[in-house]
Amino acid sequence: MRVRLAAPLLLLVPALVLLPIGLALPGLLHGGGWDLVGQFLLAALRPSLDPLVLSSALRGLAVTAGMALLGWAASLVLGLLLGLASSRILWRTLAGTPWPAQLLRRLLALPRSIHELIWGLLLLQLLGLQPAVAVLAIAIPFGALVARVVSDLLDALPTAGLEALRVGGAPGPAALLTALGPPLLPGVISYGGYRLECALRSATLLGVFGLGGLGTDLKLTLQSLQFDELWTGLWLLLALMLLLEAGIGLLRRRWGMPQRLGLAAGGVGRSGRELLLGLLALIPLLLAVAWGLEVNPLALLHWQPLPPLPAGGWGVALALPWPSLVGNTLLLTLLAAGLAVGVAPLLLLLVAPWPWGQLLLRLGWALGRLWPPPLTALLLLLVLQPGVVTAALALGFHNLGILGRLLLEAAQAAGPERQEALASAGAGPRLALLYGRFSGLARSYLAYGAYRADVILRETVVVGLVGAAGLGSQLLETLSAFAWDQLLALLAVYALLTLLGEDLSDRLRRRLLAAG
Amino acid sequence: MAVPPEPGPLGPGLPSVPLLELQAVTVAGRGRPRLDGVSLRMGPGERVALLGPSGAGKSTLLAVANGLLRPSVGAVRWQGAAPARSPRAQRLQQARIGTLWQDLRLIEELTVQQNLNAARLAVWGWPQALLNLLLPLETAACREALVRMDLDPALLAQPVSALSGGQRQRVAIARVLRQEPQLLLADEPLASLDPRLATDLLALLLRQAEAPRALLLSLHRPDLLAGFDRVIGLRAGRILFDGPMAAVGDAALAELYGSEAP
Repeated sequence: MRVRLAAPLLLLVPALVLLPIGLALPGLLHGGGWDLVGQFLLAALRPSLDPLVLSSALRGLAVTAGMALLGWAASLVLGLLLGLASSRILWRTLAGTPWPAQLLRRLLALPRSIHELIWGLLLLQLLGLQPAVAVLAIAIPFGALVARVVSDLLDALPTAGLEALRVGGAPGPAALLTALGPPLLPGVISYGGYRLECALRSATLLGVFGLGGLGTDLKLTLQSLQFDELWTGLWLLLALMLLLEAGIGLLRRRWGMPQRLGLAAGGVGRSGRELLLGLLALIPLLLAVAWGLEVNPLALLHWQPLPPLPAGGWGVALALPWPSLVGNTLLLTLLAAGLAVGVAPLLLLLVAPWPWGQLLLRLGWALGRLWPPPLTALLLLLVLQPGVVTAALALGFHNLGILGRLLLEAAQAAGPERQEALASAGAGPRLALLYGRFSGLARSYLAYGAYRADVILRETVVVGLVGAAGLGSQLLETLSAFAWDQLLALLAVYALLTLLGEDLSDRLRRRLLAAG
Repeated sequence: MAVPPEPGPLGPGLPSVPLLELQAVTVAGRGRPRLDGVSLRMGPGERVALLGPSGAGKSTLLAVANGLLRPSVGAVRWQGAAPARSPRAQRLQQARIGTLWQDLRLIEELTVQQNLNAARLAVWGWPQALLNLLLPLETAACREALVRMDLDPALLAQPVSALSGGQRQRVAIARVLRQEPQLLLADEPLASLDPRLATDLLALLLRQAEAPRALLLSLHRPDLLAGFDRVIGLRAGRILFDGPMAAVGDAALAELYGSEAP
């Protein structure tokens, strides 16, 4: 008799991390803080409506949204240009050799592997506090990510059309634009919309670390335990984020763009004109935002003098407890990824019999998405001791919000037929969901989970402030002390780790999708 | 004083409690109702063809019959009982009604055996449901279900996605039968099949409907009616005729399809 995990069971495997976490949790409670947690939860129902608080939160939200928008737009421009420049097919058509593309691809891995928070804190040291820092911090890693997606999409397109045009005598650039432009667009726009959601989350996160906007207010109000004011900002942010997600979803459907899990792309068709108009309308908006935020590109040229290299040289960097730093980072990643990937299907199964259950989950997941992980971590510290598990809970909750929504989208796309068939044959609602829907989406969902684990590894730095959470904690400490030598060593190791992680998650994803 | 049982339309020798009864069922739709005051009773052993042009409401009628759709007006009775209140009792009630879907609704990613066993989810608890996703369970019963459909038992370990079209049809029937239903519903199972395959499959289905099991099968073409005991003609959500095979004449068929050629 051969034991083999069928697709729906495979989906539940990541949830096994709940066992070690559940075992460790009672030992982590430090006893106090429950009254504060209670106050925090109650304050959700009665946020402060004081006009001063409201106007301050709205101003903060506008700054955050502005930083996100500018950073996103810059990353798209950067990403498109770099993506074209690192496309093999483009170099082969124009110059006859793909090797410059390969080289650029390798180089772009570096800015991509460093989280926007690290970029933000680095640039903050170099440029001083100004809105452009947050914009740049988002634009650099996002630009490198977009570049990778663009070049991957380009190189995966069928080349028959291009070859036909070339054989027909069309010049290289014209042939490229005609053959590859239209099929490339839907994927890029769909991905671009998703990046805007990410940029809003990142801008909030950067604010938590003092780069301005609503995030800064959120952190201050949490630290001073003004929970009613905290919730004013949170509800506003939630409203903006849900609005943005709904808007992007609407445009995706209207323009027939692929959803994030699917790769089948439709044509651009007559929505092309609308798209062009939309892009044109974006330019004055961006200029207005830049003017409103007082972003000054010239100020980016004034670098602050670097502090001198501390005494001790490289010996201090070598003396860091590397094995435990790396080990804790990996442990944190695994726990957080397991939580995020595994808990979403469990919760969906749990609420399957109740019609209001999904609505509640949607709300909880939306809160998870918008709530920056360092704030969750601070909140958890009210009742838990600092450490890897606490950090993993914070990071896992945030990513659960992202994966949960994705799972729901995938479940809806899978269609109700199989589930209905099982239900009409008498299967209970949970089993009908498990067999009827989870079977079909398990592999693509887990493949996305593998990609997400790679993102989580990069993100471990954002919960570094909880302490004892591996490279991230050490990095934040070193950044505030600005010990150059340690910082460089830590960045190098972190980058290496994320590159290895990226490779591993790519392999895992390909295997998952190939077996399906 | 006990009232003697009504003979009813089920005929002599059959119990008066029908397997399935629709009482003046109306299902609202956009514009006109999808079903409009439909009443019918089916007894054990009956083989009933549900005939009508596309859009006549055949699928809606079957969805009401298997409990997937609640009627807007009217009532459904299974073996004389209204839909149970408790979810558990309702599930067991529904387990006695098996549906063969036009698109089969097999779970592509699972093996044939896991698909066959999915028909047992109404009576299984979580432990068995999860084990079925890990190990081959109830192999003897699954093997027999395949053999009855003239399929090679070696298919049990294959994923459904590896089967041919004809094999899928038979696996889907085997799955419904593994549910041990008293009432077998089939929604246009013969559409999109080539004529020989359609005749074979119909014979197979008719063979499964030995008393006490009954069969209600929807068709949109009237050329495969041999072998049924009774024909119900449905048009625009209403029953146009309902009677034994012999009573259905060309005139009734012409009226059923109107100007549309059958």
